[in-house]
Amino acid sequence: MADNNSHINRRSYLKLAGGAAASAALAGCTGDDGEGTETTTTAGGGNETETTTTPSENGDTFDVTITQGQMPSGLDPHDHRETPTTIVVLHAYEGVLTRDADGAVQTALATNYERIEGENAVRFDLREGVTFHNGDELTPEDVAYSINRVVDEEVGFASPQSDQLAGVAGAEAIEGENAVKVNNDGLNPIVFSEFATYLDVMQQSWVENNDKSYIAQNVNGTGPFKLDSYTEDEVVVFSAYEEYWQERAAVDTLTFRAASEASTRVNQLLQGETDVIVNVPPQEVSRINNSDNASIAAAPSTRIIYNGLRYDLEPFDSVKFRQALNYAIDLESIVQNILGGFGAQTGQPTLPEFVGHNPDIDPYPYDPDMAEQLVEESGYAGAEIELNTPVGRYLKDLEVAQAVVGYIDELPNVTATVRQRDFGSLVDELLAGSIEKRPPWFLIGWGEATFDGGLVMEALLASDGTLTTWKNDEFDSLLEQAGNQSGEEREATLQEANALAHEQAPWIFLNQQFSVYGVNNAIKWEPRSDERIDAYAMSQP
Amino acid sequence: MSLSRFLIKRSLQGLFVIWGVITVVFGLRFISPGDPANVLLPPDVDPEVRAQVIAELGLNEPLYIQYWEFISGVPVGDLGLSLVTRTPVTARVLAKLPATLELAIAATVVAIVIAIPLGVLSATRRHEPADYGATVFSLVGISTPNFWLGVMLIIVLSVQFNLFPTSQRPIGFDGIVGLLTSGNLDAAIDGFGTWLWHITLPAITLGTYFTALITRLTRSGMLDQLGQTYVRATRAKGLPETLVRYKHALRNTLIPVITVIGLQLGTLIGGAVITEAVFAWPGLGTLIINSINARDWPVLQGSLIVVAVGFVLVNILVDALYAYVNPQVAYD
Repeated sequence: MADNNSHINRRSYLKLAGGAAASAALAGCTGDDGEGTETTTTAGGGNETETTTTPSENGDTFDVTITQGQMPSGLDPHDHRETPTTIVVLHAYEGVLTRDADGAVQTALATNYERIEGENAVRFDLREGVTFHNGDELTPEDVAYSINRVVDEEVGFASPQSDQLAGVAGAEAIEGENAVKVNNDGLNPIVFSEFATYLDVMQQSWVENNDKSYIAQNVNGTGPFKLDSYTEDEVVVFSAYEEYWQERAAVDTLTFRAASEASTRVNQLLQGETDVIVNVPPQEVSRINNSDNASIAAAPSTRIIYNGLRYDLEPFDSVKFRQALNYAIDLESIVQNILGGFGAQTGQPTLPEFVGHNPDIDPYPYDPDMAEQLVEESGYAGAEIELNTPVGRYLKDLEVAQAVVGYIDELPNVTATVRQRDFGSLVDELLAGSIEKRPPWFLIGWGEATFDGGLVMEALLASDGTLTTWKNDEFDSLLEQAGNQSGEEREATLQEANALAHEQAPWIFLNQQFSVYGVNNAIKWEPRSDERIDAYAMSQP
Repeated sequence: MSLSRFLIKRSLQGLFVIWGVITVVFGLRFISPGDPANVLLPPDVDPEVRAQVIAELGLNEPLYIQYWEFISGVPVGDLGLSLVTRTPVTARVLAKLPATLELAIAATVVAIVIAIPLGVLSATRRHEPADYGATVFSLVGISTPNFWLGVMLIIVLSVQFNLFPTSQRPIGFDGIVGLLTSGNLDAAIDGFGTWLWHITLPAITLGTYFTALITRLTRSGMLDQLGQTYVRATRAKGLPETLVRYKHALRNTLIPVITVIGLQLGTLIGGAVITEAVFAWPGLGTLIINSINARDWPVLQGSLIVVAVGFVLVNILVDALYAYVNPQVAYD
């Protein structure tokens, strides 16, 4: 059910919500090899849709070990912002809402969610008979407390997740009912999307009776797995929670480990020491696929990799020059040969799975002659340019950057070089606050939690966006217009904006990143586009 | 100078070195790119949240206050809180130390057990096949990068022949001792087997360069000693060749070898970073890499202080041993 009763300026709202939606947009990828996260979101609210995942069809239980690039920074679900931690804690904690593998909103601890007429508030009716791992029953007070613990510094601590629930002012239990009322600062049109992606429910008394370090080392959620043991930086062991409100998990013992070296993870998988590994580098794919006991599973992620070009600097101020750079690179070859096919070419800022994607736009073709001619026409023949790239942040980022520069440098009238950058310092420059302080040409990736092309373009291409290096009045006004629209009308406007971005080439369009996993053949599991690894959905083939 | 005065003097020198390390490491964080807040938080986080987090971490205090707060805690073992996990650094670093010590000591044992006999053999059978074999081994050992060696050992011995596990440390030496003290002998033996099975490849990987180095050193030292006039004198005296070699020549050869072993043990404690990464060995090296990636400065500082302390201690120990091995050396 879409929110059609929105009368606020959607653009200004989206700006506010941007922080929440793009939770991990840039820095979320804190793992190695470009480990990143975004969670699938679709705006809207509605009635109960039962969760569809079933654990085990044949009833047998089995053990699973998952090896990520790094261990969680702690187990307090409200005190982190990294994917590896999210993946671990979401096995033990749950929200009122959740998402299926395709990103559709589903109910979890709530059975019904709706707006309260006449108020800037929503209500969640809670499921009966849900218990925490310590045996206590879930109460509306627990849910309200959890929400307040995130959004209100006075309740507990300053959660680094407070902006993930942007627009949420606080929550309270509704007296006499098994329900919670959430108050919003304004209408908050994407409130249900936020709750489907974020907010893990904790038990109020358990949090209040224990200190912070205990909470960071222990777990008391309502999820399908309860904590058996946790050794910081080494291992987390869960076991199936027998009293789970849904069917008991088919996975009996669930172990999380980490190995920062990709080749170590691959060897562990091939040796049968682990069952699922993250971020398999392309050169290791054949070794896994040729083995008897494991294979590759990949899914498109919601992360787009691109080259930002500063519109106010020579030679990037010329549309023809920017287009020339897009014609100069053989993107198909980059995707096939460097990314091993684990990527998709892009030609617009919006990914195919997102709202606002324009299906009529193809990526720029590889045409070095055209590129050379456009450089001549731009008047910038002989230009010398330097690409700033992070190393080891995104899948094959340096290799992609070197290929891009290699193709451009092959043009007889442009000289291009690569400058390897520390991710932290590059981000410092990108966040400098104004276009003039950002690097002239850089490679970066951006993940978007909401599957909304409008939010991507707001952050990356609107003249006041978080990372923007472009200013185009027509584009700005299209986004402004989309901010006041909804449904198909908004989609059409966003498609128009995508067409304009393609034509004006404020970026060198690169690839959509894929999440590539190695999976033991004894496990049946489909990767999700939100990068969650859901052991509850695992079964045996 | 007596041994105790010597130890006091060297300890004071060691303290100065450790203070230097702490100060340099503390200074490095301010010239290194990347703000911890940017690593901990997404770039689009609300500026207020960012400011709160920075204040909570104490990152907005003046430099000298941050320095004083840090250094005043060191003598009492308080290395501050991790920026990422907010847990005490001391506990976190000390929890990782046994794994690294085990690995460093195991690598040293591998090196000593193989290298000294090999070096002696090589020197006493000069220009014979055994000598050539040992020379080629040490050349290859010194030239092989240990990350490559580790990966190759895993691929061949673990993945291909299934002889060893690829990685991890399911039980530590402390765990084995715990089992022993609780009287569970069978479990302790099992635990020791598991430990040995897991540490073999990392120890070989870390110890190979070291083995090759000691082999060369022992060989050249022995050759040098065997050519000395006192050796000729002992032979002329009619001492059996075994005694000449092992009581006289080897003992003198060992003096520089012990120095190098000591220095290398210190290096191994801090230098196991790559080996630990390849074998997912949960020691200080892994902690150092993770803390650099996360700009978790307190943890990095703490780890480096522990490495520095280890280095200094080993050096003092080596110097003390020196005089024991060679009474000609005085404590001064």
